[in-house]
Amino acid sequence: MNLRIKLIPYERLKREDAKKLVKDLKEGTIILVDAKLDPKEEADLIEETMKVVSTKFSGIELSSMELSELKETTNFERFKNMVIERIMGKKRGLTIIGPAKIIRKIEKNPEELLLYM
Amino acid sequence: MVVKHFRRLKNRLASAIRKVFKKKKEIKIGLYGPVNSGKTTLANRICVDWLGEELGKVTSIPHETREIQMKEKVTIKDNGRSLTFNLVDTPGIATKIDFEDFLKFGMKRKEAKERAKEATRGVIESIKWLDKMDMVLVVLDSTRSPINQVNITILGNLDARNIPLLIVSNKVDLKSSSTSRVRTAFPGYDVIGISAKTGAMVNELYKMVLKKI
Repeated sequence: MNLRIKLIPYERLKREDAKKLVKDLKEGTIILVDAKLDPKEEADLIEETMKVVSTKFSGIELSSMELSELKETTNFERFKNMVIERIMGKKRGLTIIGPAKIIRKIEKNPEELLLYM
Repeated sequence: MVVKHFRRLKNRLASAIRKVFKKKKEIKIGLYGPVNSGKTTLANRICVDWLGEELGKVTSIPHETREIQMKEKVTIKDNGRSLTFNLVDTPGIATKIDFEDFLKFGMKRKEAKERAKEATRGVIESIKWLDKMDMVLVVLDSTRSPINQVNITILGNLDARNIPLLIVSNKVDLKSSSTSRVRTAFPGYDVIGISAKTGAMVNELYKMVLKKI
């Protein structure tokens, strides 16, 4: 099976409907976003996913991490990140979303994300 | 540390504002968490302790609770203080539901598919009800790794809505339980280790609820 990975800038994801994202996931695409989704976006994504779960599409695996979660980050760096994120309007980090049939599990350690396929 | 104090201050402030403006409204305390973390077992424990009757059915099959269940006017008391609220038991939140998982529990395909469909509706309901909560007990299975997306999403959504919460590290009666692992994973939150099944530390939980709301 061909693996399809889509990189989406957070700014575009924010404009898009969660339904469109779920459509891609349903078609077997793994999505990478260059930021951490905010909690409401995560909840919307789960809600939209649940609406289309079927015998062929069992749902998604989702995980994200933000820069400020890194252990080495100093208080000054955290403050700097906070200011930058306020200006940019996004949490700097990474989000991985994939169909559960392809990504069996995502293990999150404080400093890395491990995908089991 | 700073984040922890800021979150506590923010929650106290939100709770105080809520008390002023919503004094006459019925208080809703929700039980949220991933699948099979013991939400209904805890709901039953609370209801039996204070009302003398259970709320819902408990089994080892995932997604046993597929609809919101509510018990009205539960009054908990401690040291002259009391609180009356509606207890809301919610279906477990999940990002995936595979009907084939239910086949392992001896279900027929048709029954498993129906259960999966009901479970997806349950997850949607749970998310929709978040806005109605005045306080939430996030029930986690302390024998499992606490760092998973469902737990992070629940906590993030409660924080975003300024809903006071307590993390209940359940199943401390089991050998592989680790409440310290839960505390380490979520340092900014109040965590209490209990066993909803045996009742261990549940009285402490009541005290914390009375303090929190």
